[in-house]
Formats: sequence, structure tokens, C-alpha cells
Amino acid sequence: MPPKVIAVPKTDPGAYNPNRPAGTLLQAQALHMREALIRHLHELTTLVNIDMKSLKTEADVSAYVHKATALLHTQAGRPAKK
Amino acid sequence: MSAGLDNLKHIVVLMMENRSFDHMLGSLKQKYPKINGLTGNESNPDTNGAIVRVQPNAQFQSQLDPDPDHHFPGVDLQIFGGAPIGPGRVANMQGFVKDYFSQTKDVNRSHNIMYYFTPDKLPVLTTLATEYAVFNGWFSSIPGPTICNRAFAHYGTSFGQVGMDIFYILDTSIASIYERMIQAGHTAKIYYYDQPSSTMEIVNLLKNQPQIFGTLDQFIADCAGNTLAEYSFIEPCYNDHPGADGGQILASDQHPDHNVREGERFIANVYNAIRTNPTLWQNTVLLVVYDEHGGIYDHVVPPACTPDGKTASADATGTGEPFAFDRLGIRVPAVLVSPWIPRGTVVPGTEDPANAQIFEHASIPATVTNFFLKGDAKRTAREQQAKTFLGLLSDQMRQDDDCVVFNNLQ
Repeated sequence: MPPKVIAVPKTDPGAYNPNRPAGTLLQAQALHMREALIRHLHELTTLVNIDMKSLKTEADVSAYVHKATALLHTQAGRPAKK
Repeated sequence: MSAGLDNLKHIVVLMMENRSFDHMLGSLKQKYPKINGLTGNESNPDTNGAIVRVQPNAQFQSQLDPDPDHHFPGVDLQIFGGAPIGPGRVANMQGFVKDYFSQTKDVNRSHNIMYYFTPDKLPVLTTLATEYAVFNGWFSSIPGPTICNRAFAHYGTSFGQVGMDIFYILDTSIASIYERMIQAGHTAKIYYYDQPSSTMEIVNLLKNQPQIFGTLDQFIADCAGNTLAEYSFIEPCYNDHPGADGGQILASDQHPDHNVREGERFIANVYNAIRTNPTLWQNTVLLVVYDEHGGIYDHVVPPACTPDGKTASADATGTGEPFAFDRLGIRVPAVLVSPWIPRGTVVPGTEDPANAQIFEHASIPATVTNFFLKGDAKRTAREQQAKTFLGLLSDQMRQDDDCVVFNNLQ
């Protein structure tokens, strides 16, 4: 007998809102990323020099975090090592 | 040692964001009386003195905007109802509506903080809670916000912090659970959703990249390819952003005001990745837990705990009183999943003092360290005293057709 299957409904497509104001958690994450760049990369890139108050929306923060993570986590996406 | 523990090779933890136990699972009490949820009579006063009862009106999005306060002073108000700071004040969980009014400035809207979900709206979390094990007494580690609470899951301490600072970057007194594992020749990984979402555990990103980190796609591939690390910690997507192919990526962390249903789909994805690999399914345990309550109502008073020798100053707490890390934060949903767990397991909490098993986020590194490292690591007193959760694995493995799968491809 096959296992019981539980249906999970789709999310409302209207839920997507990258222009939602970034909350305190996301603002903190961006600040931490900037701190990480300053302390450990010795590369004063444009990411460090950015005016953090310009990161107003989730899209703003995600774009910033994306660039910072790409710098910090150079092997993202590579297969796991056992 | 149980047969389930004998077979265990992988521990996976998925930590979601900012929802309380009663908000997500409280309604289950009606059908499952052992679950310490809501009777429907729980209430808080509003700022006009009116009694506001809990109501099954929670929606997936738009009700908790602005984001409910969950920083230390706000949570203090929620727990103590606004009683003046000082000895002898009693926790009564009566300040949630008052605190939310301070943000909404709207009496009617402040009542939203008492809303909870009915099980039909949360088919994934409520199914896992009733099909496997649910904890009546899993509490956030600190009555405060995300970063310090997540630190307990990684380090077993927040190094004396109660806020959102990147505080422990220079403190090397306690190694993270990932460092402990790798230094001992084991494998451990933090899987974040993707680079635009990234991680909240940036200290480890700095110290140990790239060995410790992967993406969700990699987690899915590691599950399918039997290359999953012995210990894995999964982070949901923290923001709405465009996908690499131009599509729309939704936040799946369930942090207000992100869509709760998207988080349900994310939990189902993680579960299915383990569940659909028969080998992995038999030797893996999955913990789904929330970092803190997000300012949302819960009726259970947080209990005392073993201090970890740190004190946050009165300035740091913002309440005018220092905090000695001697009591826990507000209760959060926590579910343990494995075919070795009997259906309908309810782990008693403070409602059953004689049999209570109290868990908090330090229970995570405590469990991983005890199981994989036999406890051999420098740890805080707090972590050493933290309750571990692998004792829930039994001698009897449930048949494949006895364990649900989720269809989230609709």
C-alpha cells in the first residue's frame, strides 16, 4: 500500500513583494555582511562603502546580500564534501 | 540504546522564524488533548481594558504588519504584562496585546496578536506534529530577537548578548557545533536557501567558508546522492527576490509578514528530500523548530534555566534591569520526525511538572555533541544541562506505508 499523500496548496501568487520594506532582521543581516567584508576580506569594495540607509526594500537587501555572499562564500553551489 | 539510535547517521535541523507554539499548533489541543495548546478561553487585556480572547483567525499574510515587537523590552512586557521591574513580579503572559498596540496604535488591530491558525491551514506542520513527535515544552533560549536565539542553536550560548549585534565574532571561547564536528573528523553543514537570501550565521561564514556552507539545491542533491553531512542545519529563504531565471522567489521563513503557506511548502520540500530516499529516511532524524515567537501570543510561562555565567547589562536589555540568562524565552513550535518515532508522540512540558522535559535551542548542539562527539567539547554550563532529544527514537521502525509524503507540486 502506498503511503498517505498530503496535498500542500500553492502559495497565493500575489504574495510576492520584493518592494516590501526590509524588516529589522534583514537590515541586521546586511549590516553583518558589511561588517564581515570589512573585517575579513581587506577589500574595501563598493559594497562596504555603500550608504546602508539606501537599502530600503527586500529587493535592495537581497541584491546586497547576494553580492556580499558571493564574495564571502566563494564555493557556494559546489557539491558537498564528505 | 534503542534500535532507532543504533541506526542513526544524520541529524537535520530546520529553523524557521518568529511564530509561537499557540499561534501555529495551539488549535491541535481540541483533537489531541495531550498537546498543550489553546482551550479558546486564553486572553489578554487590550489598552482599553477589554478582554481579548484567542481566536482562530490567523491568515497567511497581512495581519502582522507592522512586525510585532520581539526585542528584549517588548518581550518583557509580553511576559510580565507591564508589571514594574523588581523582585517578586510574576510572569502572566498578559502583555501581548498592549505591546502590539504600541506599534499599531490601533486597538482593533492590536488584537491580531491573539490570532491562531486552524490545522487545515497548516497541513504540513500539523501533520508532522501529529504523525511524529511534538514538544509541549520547547522554548526559545532568550526572551529576545533572532540573532541571539539562533546563536544558541549554533554555539549553546549567545556569549552574553540579548540583541541583534554581530557580537561573538572575536569570542573564540566556545566553538560552534560545526567547528566541533569538523575538528573531530565528522561532517557538518549549514545550507542556506540561495545567495540572495544567504545565512544569518555570518560568523561561521567568515571563519569557515566554504567548507561549512551549502545551498538548498545542494541539500536536495546531497539527500538524493547519499552525501548528506552527519549534521545539517537548514535556513529558509529570508526575503522575496527575483530568481536567477527571472522568476519570483518568495521568502519561506514565515517571519511576519512573509507568507506562512510558502513556509509550509518549504518544510514539505525539506521533509520530502529525506523521506523519498529510503536509505536516508531510515537513518535520519529531522527537527523542525522556530527561533523565537516573534511577539505572537503563547499562554505558557517560560521556565527558569541553568545560567551560562553571562550577564547582559541593564543598558543592553533596555528594561533597566540586567539579565542573567536564568530563564528561557517564549515557547515555539518544535517537531521531531523519524520513522523510529511512534505516531502521536507528545513530549510533556511545564503542564506536567512530574514528567516535564524542557528543551531550548542549546538542546541542539547538546544533542549533536553528545551523539557524534560523545560530549567531548568545551561547552557552557547551559549547554551541558540542556535536555537532548534523541531519546525519542524507539526500537520499532514504522513501515514505509505508515509514513506520509507531501505533494507540494500543485
